[in-house]
Amino acid sequence: MIKHLTAAALLLSTAHLAIGPAVAADPGITDTEILIGDVEPLTGPPALLGVAASIGHKIAIAEANAAGGINGRKIKYVLEDDGYVTARTIQGVKKVIDVDKVFAMIGISGSGQSIAVMPVLEKSGIPTVIDVAPVKFLWEAPRKNVFVVGQSYEEGIIHLVNFLADKNPGKKWGLITQDDDYGITVRDGFDSVVKAKKLNVVYSGNYKKGQQDFSSDMLQLKDSGAEVFLAGGIIAENIAMMKEIEKLSIKPVTGIFWPGRIEPVLKLMGPAGDGIYAVDYVEPFAGTAGKAFLEKAKPLVSEAEFKGINRYTMTGYAAAKVLIAAIERCGKQPTWACTIAELEKTKNVETGVMAPISFGPGVRFSNQKLQIMQADAKTLSFKPVN
Amino acid sequence: MQYLVQLLISGLAIGAIYGLIAMGFAVIYKSTGLVNFAQGEMTMITAYIAWTISTTVSGNVFVVALGAILAAVLLGLIIERLVMRPMLGEPVFATVMVTIGLAVILRSAINFIWDAYPHGLDIGMGRGIVHLGGIGVRTGQLAVIATLLLLLAAIWAFFRYSKVGVAMRAVAADDRTALLMGISATKVHALAWAASSVIAGIGGVFFALSYDLSPAMFQLGLKAFPATILGGLDAVLGSGLGGLLIGITENLAGGYLGSGMKEVAGFAMIIVVLMVRPFGIFGERDIERV
Repeated sequence: MIKHLTAAALLLSTAHLAIGPAVAADPGITDTEILIGDVEPLTGPPALLGVAASIGHKIAIAEANAAGGINGRKIKYVLEDDGYVTARTIQGVKKVIDVDKVFAMIGISGSGQSIAVMPVLEKSGIPTVIDVAPVKFLWEAPRKNVFVVGQSYEEGIIHLVNFLADKNPGKKWGLITQDDDYGITVRDGFDSVVKAKKLNVVYSGNYKKGQQDFSSDMLQLKDSGAEVFLAGGIIAENIAMMKEIEKLSIKPVTGIFWPGRIEPVLKLMGPAGDGIYAVDYVEPFAGTAGKAFLEKAKPLVSEAEFKGINRYTMTGYAAAKVLIAAIERCGKQPTWACTIAELEKTKNVETGVMAPISFGPGVRFSNQKLQIMQADAKTLSFKPVN
Repeated sequence: MQYLVQLLISGLAIGAIYGLIAMGFAVIYKSTGLVNFAQGEMTMITAYIAWTISTTVSGNVFVVALGAILAAVLLGLIIERLVMRPMLGEPVFATVMVTIGLAVILRSAINFIWDAYPHGLDIGMGRGIVHLGGIGVRTGQLAVIATLLLLLAAIWAFFRYSKVGVAMRAVAADDRTALLMGISATKVHALAWAASSVIAGIGGVFFALSYDLSPAMFQLGLKAFPATILGGLDAVLGSGLGGLLIGITENLAGGYLGSGMKEVAGFAMIIVVLMVRPFGIFGERDIERV
C-alpha cells in the first residue's frame, strides 16, 4: 500500500513538474491572459517616440487578441511612463516586473535608459525585446534574455554618409551633432567614413542638448562653404537648422538620421526640407507597405492614437509581433525559458514594416537592412531612393 | 562684416524673446517678491493656445492675438487665485517649490491636451524672409524686436504714470504700508500674474512664429531666467534689455568661438556681471534672493 502511495505521489509530482510549475514559476500568465510590460517616455518631448512605439505594441497586441490571443489567452499591455528620466525607467521596469508581474518586456525607452536598465533585466531573466533605441551595448555582449530589433545608429550613419559621399564626390562636408551619447554615436559613424573615404570636412559643430536657436551654427556652416551637410539633430533641432538654412539662402545636400525621419517634420521644414536624404530600416508610409500598415492599424487604435503613428510605431509593431510569435510557439504552457529559446529560433519573421527579422544562437540583434529615402515636400513624404 | 551683422540681428531676435519672458519673471518678482519657476511653461501654454486658436477658430492674426492675450490673462489669474494665493504668508521656499511643481504639471499638460509633435504657428505672416543688404531675416524676428521695444516703453510709462503701476511699485516696496494706504495687495498680485503671463506669452507666440511649437519650448524659461538675473530680478525694463544682451552674447560666442560655447556664454557673462553687481545691471541693491 505504501509502495503504491509513494508511486502515486511521485507520479503526481512528475506531472506537476511537467505542467504546473511553468504557470507557478513564471509570473504574468493566467488561464485567460498574458501580461506584457513596457516603459516609455509618454510625457515631454521624447513622447514623440515613446507614444508612437507604444501604439505599435498596441496594434500588434490588438491584432493578436482579435485573432483569439496567444493560444486562447488575451494579451494585456502594462505601460509605464518614465518621462525619459533614467531613474524613472529603472523604477518603472522594476515596478512592472515585481509588482505587475508581467510575463515579458518590450520597447523600453531611449538608448541611455535601456542601457541603464540592462542589469535589472538580466538579473530578472525576463524575456525582453527592445525596439525603440538600438545601440550596440544592448547586444554586445549578447544577454541571454534580451533581444534587439533594429539597426545600430552607427551603421545607419555609415550607410547614409557612404551614400551621400558616393553621390557627391569631392564636395566639402559639414556636420553638427548633439553633445550626448546619441551625438557621439552619430559622430563616430561619420568619422569612420570620413577616414575611409578621405572626405573634406570644413565644418564640424557640436550643440548642447535642448538648443533651439541655430542661427550662429548655420551661419558658420554657410561661411565654411559646406556643400553636403549631415544634420545630426533629432526632430526640433533639424527643423530649426533647415529653417535657418532657408533664411541664409543656401541649399547644401542634406542628410538626416532616422530619429528625425517623421513626416510632420517636412511640413515644418517647408521648402528647405525638399530633397533631404534620410536613412532608415522601416518602410516609408508613402510606400505600399506603409500604406498597408496604416490600413491595418486604423480599426485597431483610437483616432488620437492613429494620429500619433510614426516610424517608431512600425518598430514597436515589429518587435511585438516577434515576441508574440515566440510565446505562441511555446504552446499552451509558455515559460520564460521556452520564450527565450523560441525568440532565439526566430527566423525570417515577416512583419510587413521592415525586412524579415531573424535572431539565432548567441545572436540577439536582428541587424535590419537599411534603405535610403528622400523627402518630397509636395507630398510631405519620404520615398525610397533606388 | 556681413557675418557680424547677421549674428547681431539673429542675436537681437532671439534675445527679444528671452527679454519678453524675462520681463514676465521680473513683473512677478517686483510685485510679489517671488521667483516663478513656471514662467517658461506658462509661455509655452500660451503659445499652444494661440496655435489651437489658429487651427480651430481662425488663422487671422488679430483673432489669434486677441485670443492668446485673453487666454494668457486667464491663465495668470487662475494660477494666482488657485495656486499662489493660498500660499500667501507661507515661507518663500515653500512658495518657490509650488511654482516648480506647477511647472512640472504644465509641462505634462502639453502631452495630455495636445501632443508631442512639433507644430508650426501659421497666421499668414511672420514666416516670410526679407533681405536687408544681403542679410536674410524673418519678418517675425523683426516684429518681435519692435514689440519688445514698444513694450519696454509702455511698461516704463505704466509704472511711472499710471495709478495701478504706482500701486504695484508700492506693494513691491512695502506691502503693509501699501495696505494701510488702501491698496489691495491681492489685486496687485493678481494683476502681476496676469501681466506676466501676457508679456511672456507674447514672447512664446513670437518664438512659435519664428521657430516652432514643441513640448521642449518650456526651456525658453531657463534661457530667460539668466536674462532677468543679468538685468535685475526686480527690474522689469532691465530684464528686457538683459534678454537682448544674452541673445547677442550667445550668438557672437556661437559664431566666433564655436557651437559649444553658445549655450554657456550667457551664463559666463552672468557670473562676471554678478561678481561686479550682485543685484544685476539695473537691479536695486536691497533685494532678497532665493
